[in-house]
Amino acid sequence: MSILQDIKNAVRSRSIHVSYVDVGSCNGCDIEVLACLAPRYDIEQYGIYVHNNPREADVLLVIGSVTPQWVDKLRNIWDKIPEPKVAVAIGNCPISGCVYNRRGSLINPPVSKYIPIAAQVPGCPPRPTEILSAILSVAPLIFKDYEESKS
Amino acid sequence: MKKTVDVSIPLGPVHPCWKEPVRLKCETAGERVLRTELELGYMKKGIERIMRGRPWQEVMFLAERVCGICSVVHNMVFIETMEKISDIEVPPRAAYLRVIANEVDRIASHLIANFSYCYTIEHETLAMYLLNTRETVLDNLERLTGSRINTAYMIPGGVRFDLLPEDGAVMLADLAKVEDEVRRVVRIFETGPLIALRSRGIGFMDREEAIRSHTVGPTARASGVLDSDLRLRHPTYQALGFEQVTRTEGDNFARVMVRFQEIFQSIDLVRKCIDTLPEGPIRGGGFCKAGEAAYSGEAPRGELTYYIKTDEYGRVVDIAIRTPSIMNIEACAHSMIKNATTIADVTATFISSDPCVACNER
Amino acid sequence: MKYLYEKDLRPMKYTILTSARHDEATRAIARQLGVTDAKLRMVLIRRLDMSLLENLGSRWEMGQEHADSSDRVAEELGCELFTRFIPLVDTETMQSIHSDTKTMIESGSSADDAIEWGRARIREEVLR
Repeated sequence: MSILQDIKNAVRSRSIHVSYVDVGSCNGCDIEVLACLAPRYDIEQYGIYVHNNPREADVLLVIGSVTPQWVDKLRNIWDKIPEPKVAVAIGNCPISGCVYNRRGSLINPPVSKYIPIAAQVPGCPPRPTEILSAILSVAPLIFKDYEESKS
Repeated sequence: MKKTVDVSIPLGPVHPCWKEPVRLKCETAGERVLRTELELGYMKKGIERIMRGRPWQEVMFLAERVCGICSVVHNMVFIETMEKISDIEVPPRAAYLRVIANEVDRIASHLIANFSYCYTIEHETLAMYLLNTRETVLDNLERLTGSRINTAYMIPGGVRFDLLPEDGAVMLADLAKVEDEVRRVVRIFETGPLIALRSRGIGFMDREEAIRSHTVGPTARASGVLDSDLRLRHPTYQALGFEQVTRTEGDNFARVMVRFQEIFQSIDLVRKCIDTLPEGPIRGGGFCKAGEAAYSGEAPRGELTYYIKTDEYGRVVDIAIRTPSIMNIEACAHSMIKNATTIADVTATFISSDPCVACNER
Repeated sequence: MKYLYEKDLRPMKYTILTSARHDEATRAIARQLGVTDAKLRMVLIRRLDMSLLENLGSRWEMGQEHADSSDRVAEELGCELFTRFIPLVDTETMQSIHSDTKTMIESGSSADDAIEWGRARIREEVLR
């Protein structure tokens, strides 16, 4: 373990870019992710910057059960995110399909069929603090010693 | 749709300004938008299909998951339709508590709509003020119903929880704070020269077009459609002396301002409700019977209609939901954005109509 | 060339059209035009975009209520209904059909025959 790697780890854990994608939820989790931006939770004080550009993101928040349009596109978005990357499932929908997972519906959960999911935040919807703590605890773990684990 | 030019600029489905996935294909000549086409299907969960053949106890929870932002009103309209079918009376206290929950939810929904608009025209300061105010409002919704988003507060014949007097006092104090903050934001919004440049006269829709595509809610009221607020026909709101907000400009600025004015109106309604809250039980009794009914209520975005048919065990045999966003998004895409002078105004205009794609597709 | 995000929208549009209220509206429009439901669905799916399809029911209702009803010929043909409320026919084409029908009535043929002829032309235009 070099000093350079230590510096990289420290920097990475304090600079996380987040992108979120809604693959068919009720909107409740979307606005809870948005609420994280509010000065009360202040996601940016932890060095997390939320914007919706997958090409710059480190963390992808996946919201919702997978609707027909997303079956192929979700993988496309995941491929566009540069390494190292991590996907977090927000809410019950990406985990199980929640209330929509019944006979006759159009959805096709879980999300882990399409992209690898590193962490799941259950709840319908989860509170902003839970989303925040999930991002904060999972991202540094995945990004730690990324260069060494790759070789 | 028929193509007129080759240059087609797609916006979305993942777009920095849009909270939900939707794809807008703008055909442009230079900067001018000639026509737009909307591609949906990103949120189609088939919720009406799941609802058929299920008991109302399950459909109640599915109904509020049609849309997370205005879940209280979906719950309210579904329950009131069931009450209309089965002739269930609501105790007066419960009717007032329903209005409180609905209006608090409306304030939160309008705040997030105006937050999105300010965020889209890149006025982040105002956006953050509004988002922070929304947290205070959601605290009060949680205080009343026990949950922030999907509340399931209403049941046939009443509501689940009572409002304690001390909670009511805290709610009034909080709402006074919210009113002050929103008043300040409105002053900044009304007088800001840069905001006016990006809002006034942009995304214009006249009254004729608003009626033709059946727009509802703040979008219609900003275009001067009178008598478009269904709260005017709701008995509890009539008792509270509700009056509709109408503006005549029909542009982005008017739509945002209508929502701001409705926030103040909702705060007044909540105040009146808490002051004149009748004593009595909060839950009556009753059984859900067989029948068929269509009932409309006023959601934050406009007229929400449920057509329900039930059998004698209280199961929902057939259901169709017409949400306000269906009409508003359609009018926005095909009449407001049409002939927009620059492609930069497309996102702001789209957001100003408060699109809720989850509602639109169900 | 394979477009990056383009996907066949027809099954999704069909899903929209077959939900309860939309199905009623489609059947009503098909009755008015005198074409079969399946054919009209095909035309709607080809011509209109998804949000217009979602809004079909409300537009149809508003068309019944607010479409121009001063002129009997225009009302029977659905002049405003099929151009401005549900955009299936061009405004110019509809104008020419309307004026042709009127000339037919003025030149002596019975009103019912002329309107039937006008409807046939609208049908032709819609199915084109």
